[in-house]
Formats: sequence, structure tokens, C-alpha cells
Amino acid sequence: MMKLTKILGLASALALSAGLAHADSTVRFWYHFDNADNPMDELVAAFEEANPGIKVEAENVPWNSYYDQLYTAVIGGNAPDAAMVKMFAQPRLVEMGALEPLDDWLANWEGKDGLQDNLLDLTKGPDGKQYYLPVQYVVLYLYYRPSMFEELGIEAPATCDQFREAAKALTRDTDGDGQTDVYGFGFRGAKGGHDHWASFTLGAEGVSLTNGLTSEAGVAGTQFVADLFQKDGVFPPSAPNDGFQEIIGAFKAGKTAMTIHHIGSANDMVEALGDDVAAAPAPECGGGRWTAFGDESTAVLSSAEDKEAAWKWISFLSSPENNAKFNEATGQLPVVKADTETWDLHPQRFVKATVDSLPFAKMLPDSSATADFVNTAWPTAMQRVLTGEITAEEMNAEIAELFGG
Amino acid sequence: MTDATRIQVSDSPSRAALGRRVLPYAMLSPAVLVTLAIVFVPMLQTAWMSLHEYVLFRPNDFNWIGLENFRTALADEVFWISLRHTVIWMATTIPAQLLLGLVTALLLNQDFPWRPVARALIIIPWALPSVVIALMWVWIYDSNYGVANEFLLRLGLIQKAIPWLADPDTALASIILTLTWQGFPFFAVMILAGLQSIPRSYYEAAAIDGASTWRQFWHITLPGISGVVVTAVLLRTIWVANSFDVIFVMTGGGPGYSTHTLPLYAFVKARTNLDFGYGSAIAVLFTLLLMAIVVFYLRRTGKAVS
Repeated sequence: MMKLTKILGLASALALSAGLAHADSTVRFWYHFDNADNPMDELVAAFEEANPGIKVEAENVPWNSYYDQLYTAVIGGNAPDAAMVKMFAQPRLVEMGALEPLDDWLANWEGKDGLQDNLLDLTKGPDGKQYYLPVQYVVLYLYYRPSMFEELGIEAPATCDQFREAAKALTRDTDGDGQTDVYGFGFRGAKGGHDHWASFTLGAEGVSLTNGLTSEAGVAGTQFVADLFQKDGVFPPSAPNDGFQEIIGAFKAGKTAMTIHHIGSANDMVEALGDDVAAAPAPECGGGRWTAFGDESTAVLSSAEDKEAAWKWISFLSSPENNAKFNEATGQLPVVKADTETWDLHPQRFVKATVDSLPFAKMLPDSSATADFVNTAWPTAMQRVLTGEITAEEMNAEIAELFGG
Repeated sequence: MTDATRIQVSDSPSRAALGRRVLPYAMLSPAVLVTLAIVFVPMLQTAWMSLHEYVLFRPNDFNWIGLENFRTALADEVFWISLRHTVIWMATTIPAQLLLGLVTALLLNQDFPWRPVARALIIIPWALPSVVIALMWVWIYDSNYGVANEFLLRLGLIQKAIPWLADPDTALASIILTLTWQGFPFFAVMILAGLQSIPRSYYEAAAIDGASTWRQFWHITLPGISGVVVTAVLLRTIWVANSFDVIFVMTGGGPGYSTHTLPLYAFVKARTNLDFGYGSAIAVLFTLLLMAIVVFYLRRTGKAVS
């Protein structure tokens, strides 16, 4: 016991003196990388070398409870100084007064013009101020297995009707044992699957989350999803509970012929399937297209002790080279133009599908209801529709009510 | 100082008596203080919050709304769905665990080689963390790769793989089975301890009187372990009622609301939707219900046992 106390004492004394030796201020940074083997330590080391006097404590917080943790930490007065944040959380964080406006720093920042066009506009706060500094982006598109399509002599679907036909044809018993071995589409029915549903529903003319969801066209989209599962049986039976791991796992294992995700999973899929995976924009449904713009920014929290230091750190992450390194870990696309030009991490066909999808990529509404929609309202309602407990009309009415429509 | 000493000496018998009376309280007070601080204060806080409109991302709006949250809860469809599931959850899990535990304890009370090893092994489900158990069973139930489907398919009991956790008709039952498996060792160990405290001579006397095995069980074994069983059931009732970690990891309450129980609903409302006022109201309602059940149980079994 005595020995342990001594060691602890010595360790803390060392830590203290190390801290005093070269850190005037500390930036506590929260991020979420699925990949445990990431270059964050390298980035921190490079930053600390360039900015003596600032120490960065970067903490990888698991994604599943990231926002629960963040909100709780903000309320509990123990928020990080800077954090990785998504657009859907912005209205809520602004309402909590948790974010620091970046406008003054941005105005004097040399890296500003090096960012991809429009990204700062897309991430503007609800009150017109800029709280978010983009750090990566993705666009969702359709992944499919070219070999299965060739075997059946069909093309990648461009519309919802073609999609349905293709999905039905692709759902097959390949080894003749009476069990379905391949399903047409891997649908994500659990949390995070709203992007799948939205691609089939929100593309229709005059339909959005805040408007027209209960119209005939809006309900038709939800009904389309329900029919795919209940009537056509083109989703695996576990679809209501399937999350990211399940849909990607099933696609890689050849259990599904199509699914929707972004470039972040491209390399993983190529590793498993080689050339037998291709990408196309999400199909046109109800006369228009909708796909999700997946954003990720960083922000300085208003409770930060040394805001200047926190800004230096987040702007470092959105600077040339550093941004590329950051995105190598997440497998998403850099926000810095210079890094995009030299980008060779993903096979070209996936970058092309991303760029082709950009014109109709949209974000979720700028409303504090969006977080509830993503976390609880959508998954619960969708699961109930898929399992036949409620109708498509009831689901759309529930969501429209959440958004005050 | 001298005064005090004198008084103490002169009053010494009653002082000692007072000391004896105070001592238990003095000894207990640290534990009581800690319990007050970490259990009762948050409990009062919960009750207080349940009377307010308190949404965490609007920290400045903490408005008194009286019983409004409770009225909302009683009119909330999901509250009643969750309550129904909670009742099913408790009414099936606890008896199933008790029965399985009883059978296991009776088996383990027999003489057979390697008995200590069997006793040690039986503890494993109980000793594993709930999250590990939940993840393990998610894979067992998996509709593509799960061993449960594979097994039933090969036996010809089912014609095609069943998505146990994604089908609202089987999801709750599947989780109940998981929790039964996790919790029965507790009963087995408690009952085994009870069994071993029954003197052998009772059975010998009964055997001489010609009592059958069944009558021995009914008239000697059951009364012998009833005290232990009553306590174990009480503890398990409270634990099972409150536990939602296994449900949370396995289905998160889904699909839809089909595995929502009241504690889970309160947790989702407070932690994910950040609606602490409403979440607290559900928690308070549930506490009252559970308290009623426990009081009723203690009254009934208290009479039966004594």
C-alpha cells in the first residue's frame, strides 16, 4: 500500500512538473473515430511542436453515446474546450449557449479561402453567426454488387421503380436449400437509418421534414419502404433492428446486393469485395432525388478556459495536410481544396459517386427537434411501420408533428 | 473539566446506558450519511424535477408545472405499453429464474463427482457483466449467423431463420430468456445455502415414518428454504424490475416500443431526449408502483412464512 501511494505520488509529481514545464494552457478536445488506430497522437504532437505553450488532451468518445455525453458535460459544467460536432446538434447547442462564435477569428484566418466552396455557408448557425468550422464531409450514395447485377442482366437503378424491380430480382435463394441467401437491399432500421428512408421519401416534389410530409406524396415514400419489407421481402428480416455494423457486415458478406452509405466505408468494402463493389447516386423517387450530406465540424465551446488556444487547435485540423491526415483516419473527404486535389485514399469511382450526388445532397432541418427525430422519433416510428404496428400515414403524421408541421 | 469528570462519575450508570443506546447510531451514521447523500438526495431531486418542466438543453427554463408531467404520462400511449411490458417482464422472469434456480439447487445438493466444479461453473452467468451477456445473446439470436436459428433449422423445428430480436412478437420473450439465464444462478446459490442448513435427521425421521420423497420435499425442504426464498425473490424483484441494461444493449427498446419497459422509457426520455422533467415523472411513478408491489409482497409472505 505504501509503495503504491509513493508511486502514485511520484507519478503525479512528474505529471505536474511535465505539465508546468511546457504548457501554459490545455485544450481538452473530444472526437469520435471508429478506428482506434488513428493519427490523433501525431496531429497533437505536430500541433504542440508548432504551438509551444499549448497542450492538447484529445479524447476519443464512443459514437453511440457521444451527444448524450456532450450535452451532459455541458450542463454539468465539465464540457471540453473544443469538440467534433455535427449539424443536427447545432440548434440545440446554440440554444444551450454552449458554443463560441468563430466569426472574428475566421475573418483573420488565412486558411479560410482554402476551404471548399459553400461549406461555411452550409454550416452557418441558426442566428447567422458561424459556430462551426468544417473538418470533413461525405455524401450518401448507393453501393451495389456489379457481379450480381451482371448475372441478372440488369443495370444500377436510377429511379425508385427500377430500384424495386432490381431489389426483387436480386433477392434470391442461390444454393437451392429453400432459404433466401441474398437480399436486394440492406435497410438500416435502427438509429441512423433515417437517411435511407429520406432518400425514398424526401425526394418527392414538395415533401420535406418540415413541410408536406403528410401529403399523398410524402406518405407514398414511407409506404414504399414498408412495401419493400413486408410485401416484397427484399430487406433481411432483421432490418428493423439493423444498424451500421449490420448493414455493412451483411453487404460485405454478400448477404445483401445493395445498401446506402458514404465513402467512409468504401475502403473497407474494397478490402472485402475487391472490384466487385460499385457506387451510384441514390435513385430518383417521386420525381426528385434526396441524399444526405454528412457533415462533421469542430467548434469551440463557450466554457473553454483558453478560447484562443482552442481556436488554434481546431483551425489547425482544417488546414492543408493536417486535414488530409485527419480524414485518412475517418475515411471521409477533406474540406481543404489543396488536400482534395492530392486525395488518393479512395478509389475514383466512390469519389465520383460522391461528387455526382452533391447537387441534390441536403441537410436535416435547422431545428432543435432534429436531434429527437434522429435519436428516437424516426427509429421507433420506422420500426413500428416495418413490423406493421402503425401505418405509413401515422408515422409521417408523428414526424410532421415533431417538426411542428 | 473537573466538573465534567465529577458529573460523569456520579451519573455513570445512566451514562453507560445512554452510551449503549447512542453507540449503534454513532456507528451507523457514516453509512447512513453516505446513503443519504448518494441515494436520498438524488431521489428527492428526482421527485422535485418531476414537478417541473425541465429540458436539459434549455437549462434556464425550470418551470413549476405541478402534476402536469404525471397527467401527460397517464395519457401517454408509450407509458401504458411500457407498463404492460414491465408487468410481463417481472411476472415471467422472476418465477422462471426461481424455478430454474430451485431445480439447479436440488441437483447440486445431491452427491456426485466433481460437484464443487459444477457449483463453481453455475455461477458464471451471474458473474458476467450484463453488457457482455447482452452482446453474446445478440449474436446467438442473430438471424443471419446466429447459433439459435442454425440449431432450430437443423432440428427441423423452424423452416426459415427467425429474426428473434427484430420481430415484435418474439423480441421481449427472447430478452426474458436471456435474463432468466443470467439470473437463475443467484437463486440456485441462495437456495443451495438454505438446503444445506436443513438437518439431515429430519429426512431420516421422515423416511422412518414412511414419507415419500415428494412429501419430504413438501413438508421438510420447502419450509426449510422458505425464508431464503422469500428474501431472494424480494431482492430479485427489485433488481429485475429496475434492470434495463440488457434490454438497452440488445434492442434499445425496439423494434418500435416492443421491448420498452418503464425504467428504459424513463432513461431514454431523460438521457436521450434530455427531457428530465418527464423522465423523472415516469421514474417516480414506477418507484411508487414497485413500492406497492414490495409492500404487498412483504405483507403476504411475512404472514405465510411466520
